[in-house]
Amino acid sequence: MIEYLIDGPLWHLSLAVFGIGVVWKLGSIVFASRRQDLSVARAAAGPAAFKTVFSRFIPHKEISSQIVIPLVAGYMFHLGLFALLFFAVPHVSFLEQNLLGFGWTPMPHWAFIVSAQLAFLGLIILWLRRMTNPVSRLISTLDDHVVAILTFVVMLTGCFALLEGATALRLLHRFTVELWLIYFPFSALMHTFTFIPSRAFTGAWFGRRGIDA
Amino acid sequence: MHRPTPFFLRLVTILLLAVAILLPPTSGASNIPPKSPDYPQGVSSINPGSDLWREVRQRDGLIVDGISQVKGVETGVLINVRGDQWARFRINEVTKTVSYALVGVFGILVLVFVLRGKVGIKGGRSGRVVRRFTDYERIVHWTLTIVFLFLAITGLILLLGRPLLLPLFGKEVFALFASASKEGHNLFGPLFLVSLLMMLFSFTRHNIYEKGDLGWLLKLGGLIGDGHPSVGFFNMGEKFWYWIVILIGLVVSISGLILVSPNFGQGRVIMEISHLVHVIGALVLMLGSLGHMYMGTIGIEGALQGMTSGYVDTNWADAHHDRWSRECQQKGLTLSADEFARLRGETPAADAEVAAQERAK
Repeated sequence: MIEYLIDGPLWHLSLAVFGIGVVWKLGSIVFASRRQDLSVARAAAGPAAFKTVFSRFIPHKEISSQIVIPLVAGYMFHLGLFALLFFAVPHVSFLEQNLLGFGWTPMPHWAFIVSAQLAFLGLIILWLRRMTNPVSRLISTLDDHVVAILTFVVMLTGCFALLEGATALRLLHRFTVELWLIYFPFSALMHTFTFIPSRAFTGAWFGRRGIDA
Repeated sequence: MHRPTPFFLRLVTILLLAVAILLPPTSGASNIPPKSPDYPQGVSSINPGSDLWREVRQRDGLIVDGISQVKGVETGVLINVRGDQWARFRINEVTKTVSYALVGVFGILVLVFVLRGKVGIKGGRSGRVVRRFTDYERIVHWTLTIVFLFLAITGLILLLGRPLLLPLFGKEVFALFASASKEGHNLFGPLFLVSLLMMLFSFTRHNIYEKGDLGWLLKLGGLIGDGHPSVGFFNMGEKFWYWIVILIGLVVSISGLILVSPNFGQGRVIMEISHLVHVIGALVLMLGSLGHMYMGTIGIEGALQGMTSGYVDTNWADAHHDRWSRECQQKGLTLSADEFARLRGETPAADAEVAAQERAK
């Protein structure tokens, strides 16, 4: 019964909430009414928007020494999670069999282990930094903590189910993934997608005024 | 002539059959021909496969190295009796020792708390605080803590799960615990080594021997003689614990890496030694951690604050680390209670008082 629920209806529900929620949120951002920018355009906004999307991957020199921990841990976590999500053997075969109908070459086991460790260590350090740094602690909301803990739990249950021998462990992992997908559109997890329009808007706004953002 | 009746014949037949069935089978020895004077030892009837299996099982204590198509360490050994002996040693001796040690130390700490209670701050809290640990140092400490606790719990499930959890939860649930713990333990193991190296690079400068440490050790931190020995940033006990964590932690990490990577040519003996070293090292760390956690939380008032907020009360600093406290106060590194509250995002008492007065107007 539980197996049917997790593999069937709850999986489809979570996918629907995730898909509709993300599209709805992005649509509401893109199509939100904005005041007309009356400033005289000193440069083209488009190229600046495009450039800023990528230039923000590297911090400004002025602040780079202040953010070494979140910078390094952030890259560790995000790259590790990306590799796990799209190149772990069980994930590739799952996506092929259940969603896409085609697959790609997964990463070797040693790369999987390295990615998992980078992701775990990065996430732990990022969350601890949020808790220990006075400024980060003050600006953090409950949602930030829920997102970090939920993501950690998803990764942890995935790690528990690595042997792929126990159905209960696989179901536990899938259930936490479903909770994560349902929570995704209503949380800070949306930055997975919103970082692009956010950076582009900032880049365009400054670029139009001739400022190198 | 009297002819037996069919009924009588049937009865006799049944009785004979019953006797034949109930009688024990005749021994093979009775079939052996009588000993010939030429063969006084008789003829052996031992299964010719017995010798083969005796050698395979190495019951005579001889290590028989066979020939196998598979090339590698100990691939010529079909059944290794030492492995069975090791398994019994691990299940019976190691688990018992670890259980007794953990319960014993936990009991001692409970006893200490009952007898001594929480050691308060001499003179109470002053309200002024001084920074004890940077954000990075606290991140390193808590990273190591999280990883260590995870490894300790999963490691204990793997080591003690069979005698403790199996009877409680049954085979199926225990199998899930064991499988999850094994995968989690193996995956988090290398993170412990990384966290340990982070700690080595960030805390070593505070843990070098300095003048006065020997005095602290000779007075056992104030237990012998009058007064609290003078202490810098860390006392000798804390330094001792730090180097145990680093050195034993490295031993546990290396032995763990040997165990988790069995494909590098290490044989059974090396694996067994690594296993034992891993367990003993981890036990030392767990027992020490119990004491460390006790002292840092319910044992000594104000100690935990240093690792949660990064700041400690100046009276606590005076009582436990007087030399370091004096240095900080001479440099003017202390904060008032209000400044500390603002730093924590809380409403300072002075501001709250002003706000209350304004509300009263």
